[in-house]
Amino acid sequence: MFLWIAVALLLIIMGAYYTGRGRAVSSVSGNYTALHSLPSYHGYYVALWAGLPAFILSIIWFFVAPQVLEGIVLSQAPESVTSLPPERLQVFMADVAAIAQGGIPSQVTPEREAAAEIYGSYLSVSNWLMFAVAISLAVAGLTYGRARIRPRLRARNSVESMVNLVLIICSTIAILTTVGIVFSLLFEALRFFARVPFTDFLFGLQWSPQTAIRADQVGGSGEFGAVPIFAGTFLITLIAMFVAVPIGLMSAIYLSDYASNSVRSVVKPILEILAGVPTVVYGFFAALTVAPTLRAWGGSIGLDVASESALAAGLVMGVMIIPFVSSLSDDVINAVPQSLRDASAGLGATNSETIRQVILPAALPGIVGAILLAVSRAIGETMIVVMAAGLAANLTANPLEAVTTVTVQIVTLLVGDQEFDSAKTLAAFALGLTLFAVTLVLNVIALRIVQRYREKYD
Amino acid sequence: MEMKFTTKNVNVYYGDAQAINNVSLDIPDRAVMAMIGPSGCGKSTYLRCLNRMNDTIPIARVDGDIRLDGHDIHSEIDVVHLRARVGMVFQKPNPFPKSIFDNIAYGPKLHGIATKKSDLEAIVEESLQKAGLWNEVKDRLGSPGTGLSGGQQQRLCIARAIAVSPEVILMDEPCSALDPIATAKIEELIDELRQNYCIAIVTHSMQQAARVSQRTAFFHLGDLVESGPTTEIFTNPKDQRTQDYITGRFG
Repeated sequence: MFLWIAVALLLIIMGAYYTGRGRAVSSVSGNYTALHSLPSYHGYYVALWAGLPAFILSIIWFFVAPQVLEGIVLSQAPESVTSLPPERLQVFMADVAAIAQGGIPSQVTPEREAAAEIYGSYLSVSNWLMFAVAISLAVAGLTYGRARIRPRLRARNSVESMVNLVLIICSTIAILTTVGIVFSLLFEALRFFARVPFTDFLFGLQWSPQTAIRADQVGGSGEFGAVPIFAGTFLITLIAMFVAVPIGLMSAIYLSDYASNSVRSVVKPILEILAGVPTVVYGFFAALTVAPTLRAWGGSIGLDVASESALAAGLVMGVMIIPFVSSLSDDVINAVPQSLRDASAGLGATNSETIRQVILPAALPGIVGAILLAVSRAIGETMIVVMAAGLAANLTANPLEAVTTVTVQIVTLLVGDQEFDSAKTLAAFALGLTLFAVTLVLNVIALRIVQRYREKYD
Repeated sequence: MEMKFTTKNVNVYYGDAQAINNVSLDIPDRAVMAMIGPSGCGKSTYLRCLNRMNDTIPIARVDGDIRLDGHDIHSEIDVVHLRARVGMVFQKPNPFPKSIFDNIAYGPKLHGIATKKSDLEAIVEESLQKAGLWNEVKDRLGSPGTGLSGGQQQRLCIARAIAVSPEVILMDEPCSALDPIATAKIEELIDELRQNYCIAIVTHSMQQAARVSQRTAFFHLGDLVESGPTTEIFTNPKDQRTQDYITGRFG
């Protein structure tokens, strides 16, 4: 049905464009210069009048109609249904809709079938009504817009302000999505903090989220101290940075100031391939290649390396971030003006003196920004640590032991088969919120530093 | 007149394009040599041969015999030492994003000329005084060099070049980004520096060449057309092209 409405609207809109354009041209009998706006703007103008109101109506209908239908169905449903608690009622309505539209309901009962029959009949009425209203609105819009066409009509200004509005709406969508994510995290996290005190979560040293599923079950008591997993996250991030920062920075320096053009044209794309490797591939590289190798090496010099160690995950994560650091640093190093390199070389500085004493200090804020962005990338990384770092929440600074990270815990908390409103699953949202706050702060700092740096040469 | 630089049959190529052809020119010590000519004539390229700045351009290739005090700058002198002896001032003022003090101290620190702070301070003051900037900046040596005005920045760059006590100062259109008052100050400065240094200056302004230089070389389309005492070039040029250029018929 929606497809048909869309096709019909599209045809009307196209018709509106040509009507508007044609009428504008004929209103000045072909003398384009007598028009305030170009003929195509008149076309868009009528097309907007035809399309926009009908489109907005369809959207509203799409969201409001199910609510109205539900109300109608419930008003005719027996007492046994209307007295259901809200979440059960939701399931009931989903089943009704499924039966009416030929889907797969969770169960079929006489009440559901009766309600589905009512639902179905009203649904087809609603759809036809929507079709009729949308089309007539489009035609009415077309007629109205067409009637307004005259040579002095400021069609361009109207169309442009409409386009402006569309651009604003598009940019707002991204912002609203972010706000939505934050709020969904926030509300679930608040439900968690209603069960576990905020200070226990933030400062507790024990993390064992296993809680009893049934009342008679002997389960873990459930300890939700987040310190060990944040410590694990920072340990792995630290190791990753020890790998990524020196290697990334040095390769950026090599690429920007030492490599010949032919070398750069080969090496740069290869480095960027690293960024294209899926993280899950890095994950099994860490788990199946790096971790056993480390274990064997450790064993040969008498060190006890866990088979899932922070070191293995950190090393591989560092490798993953190298292209991130190197390409961002390469950009900021290249942004240092050639005139400064010339000035330094003209004073008899060698290439390395120029880099150490002029270019790196000038590019430092940008490089720091790049590193901070890489850190927040490392903190948020999941796949490698899930596969290579382990699940045990050890509070340790020893990189040879297994640790776990925030993202790993979120994954394991949510893939279990617990009820969704238990403290265990809600803890994932609290972790997510904290992680979000940490990376947000890092990103803000990074962006501020990069901005300060930009002003320097303008 | 004693010659500081002697160059014979210098050719420069950018990739396949030849920028200057067989230029042979001598540059006198303790005097100002001006290089004039229309845009793209190769005068800046020639200047950059003298301290091997063309090395920093990957596609540039220089051949010919260039000698500083009789020593071949490509085979007998290390490029770092060459550039310490032959300083350069660029078209656009390019102070480092460091303090005024650090801008001047950069070269001396690099070459180990001064290691003690007091020596360094003396060099900074002396260089700034020679560049005529001392009185304007003596109270704010710690503030960034990029915060000065364009003319002050260019004098800072001259002071920076002087600080490593070079023998030659190359100037590539040093006044093209400056207003007339700043230009006058720089020209005055060049005239003073001539007592102690060999100066080679590329300029687009024939008045400037006439004002500051003792000798002038006229370049055209990569050729050195003629060179000689400035008064002679400007009053009695031998070549028709020089005549046309200085009377404003082209360029």
